[in-house]
Amino acid sequence: MNEENLFRLRVEYVKQGRLRYLGHLELIHTVERIVRRAQLPYAVTQGFSPHMKIAFSSALPVGTASDCEWYDVFLTAYVPAPRALEALAAASPADLAPRRAGYVDRRAAALTAALTRARYRAVLALEEGAPSDEGRARDALVALCAADGIPYLRGKKTKTMSLARTLVSAELVARDALTWELALDTRSSAEGALRPEVLIRAWEKALAAANGGAAPRDAVAAVLAEPLAVAPYGIFAHCEIARISQNIEDKRGILVEPLPLGA
Amino acid sequence: MRPAYEDLFHLIEPLLPQVEKPSRYIDHEWGVLAKREARFRVCLMYPDTYEVGLPNQGIAILYRVLNAQEGISCERGYLPWTDMADKMRAAGVPLLSLEGAAPVRAFDVLGMHVPHEMAATNYLEAFDLAGIPQLSADRGEDDPIVIAGGPSVYNPEPLAPFIDAFLIGEGEEHIVEVCRELERSRDARLPRRERLALLARIPGTYVPALYDVAFDAETAPHGFAVPKEGSAAPGIVYKRVAADFAATDPLAQSVVPYAELVHDRLSIEVLRGCARGCRFCQAGITYRPVRERSADQVVAAVARGLERTGYDEVSLTSLSTTDHSQCERMLDRLNERLADTGISVSIPSQRLDSFDVEMAEAVAGGKKGGLTFAVEAGSQRLRDVINKNVTEEDLDRAMRAAFEAGWRRAKLYFMMGLPTETDDDIRGIARLADHVIDLAQEVVPKSQRGSVSVSVSVSVFVPKAHTPFQWEGQLDRDEVKRRQQLLIHSVRHRNVRVHYHDADVSLLEAVLSRGGRDIAPLIQEAWARGARFDAWTEHFDLGTWRAAAEACGIDLDQVACAPYRIGQRLPWEHTSPGVSQGYLEREYRRACDAQTTPDCTRASCTGCGICPTLGVENKIMEVRR
Repeated sequence: MNEENLFRLRVEYVKQGRLRYLGHLELIHTVERIVRRAQLPYAVTQGFSPHMKIAFSSALPVGTASDCEWYDVFLTAYVPAPRALEALAAASPADLAPRRAGYVDRRAAALTAALTRARYRAVLALEEGAPSDEGRARDALVALCAADGIPYLRGKKTKTMSLARTLVSAELVARDALTWELALDTRSSAEGALRPEVLIRAWEKALAAANGGAAPRDAVAAVLAEPLAVAPYGIFAHCEIARISQNIEDKRGILVEPLPLGA
Repeated sequence: MRPAYEDLFHLIEPLLPQVEKPSRYIDHEWGVLAKREARFRVCLMYPDTYEVGLPNQGIAILYRVLNAQEGISCERGYLPWTDMADKMRAAGVPLLSLEGAAPVRAFDVLGMHVPHEMAATNYLEAFDLAGIPQLSADRGEDDPIVIAGGPSVYNPEPLAPFIDAFLIGEGEEHIVEVCRELERSRDARLPRRERLALLARIPGTYVPALYDVAFDAETAPHGFAVPKEGSAAPGIVYKRVAADFAATDPLAQSVVPYAELVHDRLSIEVLRGCARGCRFCQAGITYRPVRERSADQVVAAVARGLERTGYDEVSLTSLSTTDHSQCERMLDRLNERLADTGISVSIPSQRLDSFDVEMAEAVAGGKKGGLTFAVEAGSQRLRDVINKNVTEEDLDRAMRAAFEAGWRRAKLYFMMGLPTETDDDIRGIARLADHVIDLAQEVVPKSQRGSVSVSVSVSVFVPKAHTPFQWEGQLDRDEVKRRQQLLIHSVRHRNVRVHYHDADVSLLEAVLSRGGRDIAPLIQEAWARGARFDAWTEHFDLGTWRAAAEACGIDLDQVACAPYRIGQRLPWEHTSPGVSQGYLEREYRRACDAQTTPDCTRASCTGCGICPTLGVENKIMEVRR
């Protein structure tokens, strides 16, 4: 197989409904099966353990939905993009449906390295009994976002999620008395990405303390003082997180689509 | 009142973020066949987690067969893992089917797969979660009819009070007859008791409620089952056989899971039955006669299956795939077809006496991982006793060829506690393992010798019903532990690692394999004391079972180890795979004399009685080597 004769098909797909509970490895295997069912002429790596040449955008946390996930699959023959898209759609469960497909430069950077900008939207349903004050919530959010990072527990290990490196902006909008919407703009690098659920749980924990009478700023400081358990803290009844865009950021800081129109 | 058949996914969805592996519970997989609208609903349940149960071929076959029936919808069910089960109980959510997320209790039939003895408490856990009474006698008109079938129904008595009807043998045709009869009797509004009595008229169906347990002077405490007076139930229920196996659809699988499974691949059953005649092996008796599919049929089914599922591995399954008369040709044709696709072919294992390097290289995409061989016993004498017709020369030849071709790791399976076993036989296991290392020193280049390893895995022999060793007791636990120590201290080489199965697990397996209906209260008591998922080492606790046994007045060691006398009535004699008692007795005597018996697919009939009793015959494509 000559690398130069390969075609790099880039596909955008959704991850939604029940299938947002798939883990990243489960997702990878499922997509590989979709490609094989679609009978696309996928390329296979050489060597001891041959497998499909395919690469994915960065992992979504289990439970987070998205309508902008990506993979690149290398093909040994050119298949018109609309036809490839149609074959993939016929082989996919609806909750992993492909949205767009097109060819990109074979030598382009890998998706995980290229897609450094992601936006998330979290819809937060407040517990009906004790709705929180929006002003306090905003103060707590501002205080939290000014922190360098959030220490949290992952299993038994303590990790720190940097905010200085990963958070571009956070914006709170109250849709109604019981529903808030949090919009997050993030930037990832080789050193890591923002995990929306960690930020939201830290904020929720601070809010719980603020509701108890602490000043929002002090409540945030207390939250940051010890590793956070990512569990519900009684403020939000539900929290639905979705990744709503992924982009390449060029040298001038301009956001570029992963698949240029007309590709 | 019977709950409505309705989608209750919204009740478990809030629990998903809080449990391990939520993909176990989400359904919506590729290839689901269940129908939304149906007159008659069946839920087939595997008594373990999703990822253990999904690859099961038996359920895949019956799922396809039932959903192909007009008006019948068949869904699947699995047992939620302990974290989910506890959360469902706390939230008051009943056990749900997978496809429709409907209460299991809303189905017409709940079909339990019986994969092995160690699932016993899991049936009770499932009934309890579903809100179905655990005892057949306590179920009412609104409860589903609970049927059970699978490889481990050949001593159904320990489970008999929990199951309304056992389907003995191969279910392809049988389960349809049972469901149609139940649909008819439901529509005729017959009471449950009469509906069960009607099932007993269908060949292969064992309805425990129609039998009494009788005792005579020497059968206490287990007894033997006899039809109740006036019940018209058969004295012996013979297993069902899909006589024209090659006419059945070789592509049983339809569902492609999201969760990563233990066996995550396309499986094609290339042959059914094995007539090698190992005397300890229950499957070797219960799956007879031997029936092969043609290479053409298998190759076409693989192509169709890969296209439908998108798997990257296909396994050619059976009890003994390399015995297939066209095995090599099948592998060659498949490898040619699958070249440059990254898709590999695998077979479950190879026999030592027919090991072939070329065949081994033709599977697993040419990867040289570990090779696994079942040697079973450490001396030729004992291998003759159990009729495992492999020799030390076979081991020598196979391992030499494998080391020369580049394999470096071997796993050898043995059993401990086989009839007539002595300390010499145990030391023989160590000697064989050391010998394999010596061979490697001869054959493997010096620079690579460090990577050579032999692992010896030793299980405790569990005597099984309907085998020539069915009268034997299990070796007692203290003696098992002594022999395990003897083995460990007999091994010379550092590169030999010895693993042995937990003697506690084997003890309970023997109790559940050899006991009668008197064991059922023990299972219930153990479940009540928290036993579930006993097949998982992290959950199994013999202490729980010992306490339960004490409460029931049962001596576990006695049940496991006490031999039966030839001629004595046995707890399992009323359900039969068709083998004749005379054959089993003859084989037992030949075993004691270390006399072997040939394979009837390679020599003449050995008189097991199955073909004439069931009206079937071996069907082999070509002459077997």
